[in-house]
Amino acid sequence: MNHAPAFIRIYGPGFALAGLAMARPWLELTMARHMGLELPGLFVLGWIAARCDGDRLTQALASWNANGLPGLLFATCVAGFWMVPAALDSAVLHNGMAMGKVVSLVAAGLLAGASWSAAAPALLAFFVLNWFWMTLGAGLLYVETPQQLCSVYLPDQQVHAGQAMMLWATVGLGVWLAHVAQSCGDPPEPSS
Amino acid sequence: MTPGRRSVASAFLVVALALGAFAGITHGFAAVTSDGVRRADIARAPRVLPDLRLIDADGRSLSLSDYGNLPAAVTFVSLVYVRCQSVCQTSAAGQSWLQAETQARGLASSVRLLTLSFDPANDTPQVLAEHARRLGADTDQWRFATVRYASDLPSLLKLFDVVVLPDGLGGYSHNAALFLVGEDGRLRRAYDVDRPDLALADYLRTAQGRPG
Repeated sequence: MNHAPAFIRIYGPGFALAGLAMARPWLELTMARHMGLELPGLFVLGWIAARCDGDRLTQALASWNANGLPGLLFATCVAGFWMVPAALDSAVLHNGMAMGKVVSLVAAGLLAGASWSAAAPALLAFFVLNWFWMTLGAGLLYVETPQQLCSVYLPDQQVHAGQAMMLWATVGLGVWLAHVAQSCGDPPEPSS
Repeated sequence: MTPGRRSVASAFLVVALALGAFAGITHGFAAVTSDGVRRADIARAPRVLPDLRLIDADGRSLSLSDYGNLPAAVTFVSLVYVRCQSVCQTSAAGQSWLQAETQARGLASSVRLLTLSFDPANDTPQVLAEHARRLGADTDQWRFATVRYASDLPSLLKLFDVVVLPDGLGGYSHNAALFLVGEDGRLRRAYDVDRPDLALADYLRTAQGRPG
């Protein structure tokens, strides 16, 4: 991301966020688009914005974010929160919650992106694997549950929303595994 | 503060914020779905029925708060629209079952049924009367009504926490429940729309505890 032209690094995430905002009615029409495109999109945007800035955000937060722990904890909690069906309902029905959704998910992406390089591999593994099981499990519940979960979406949309969550869980795990494989190929850090 | 302590403090802040947010959206970890949260809310704080003007299938005028003044009777309420082809039919089947069960137990005078339409433009008294006839409703026990003034609709939906969205095909998508108005005239319980048996069992259990 640091090799992208300055114009894209500076304006890219903002324009992408504006694009998401314009697509909001379409994105929130179905549960699968809302949970499978809009929510992860906001998070990924925050992540990219953090990486666009090189390590500057990581350094700025360093003294409050040792090992990236608070940042990764925040990102995991935000991701978990928006998997609660009642939270999704309130984001569609109340403007304040809709704004809170955008702010919290972009912030979660920013903090996760800034904490990624600060975290030790074992800590990263803890958060990524926990997030993976949480998302996969929630996705399975959405697919399997016979009850209507959201007031604003029909029960037959839950299957697709659940499948989208399971897909994201798998993609996230894959990205992390690729990162692990890459760092295993790097020369080992000198040990004491 | 050292960076280590600052980070511990920010981690605690994140945990506190997260617990607060989860407790807020689930109303104290009561439920994860809006319907579950509503059920817990109503059970915790029964709601007073406001003076909403209704019109029934016979064209008679009544107020929703009249159901707060029924002598020694409870009312099971459901919200529907007559053209609905999905969940409303489950609601109607549940109320039909309640009618049959309560009549078989000689409880017709102490258990009332009320079906409220949230589609007053289509569900005129004539349409409601035809709907009642199709369901084999005993109109002494089971009444059908809708709001007299469409402007009262938001208050009605808010009271029962029902969300109605046009589905783009001329119908609506909406959530449903079977509600219980207690003898004290307050909205006391919400049950899953397909479990009228649980609603009746709950009623019988509490009714048995009373003398007489």
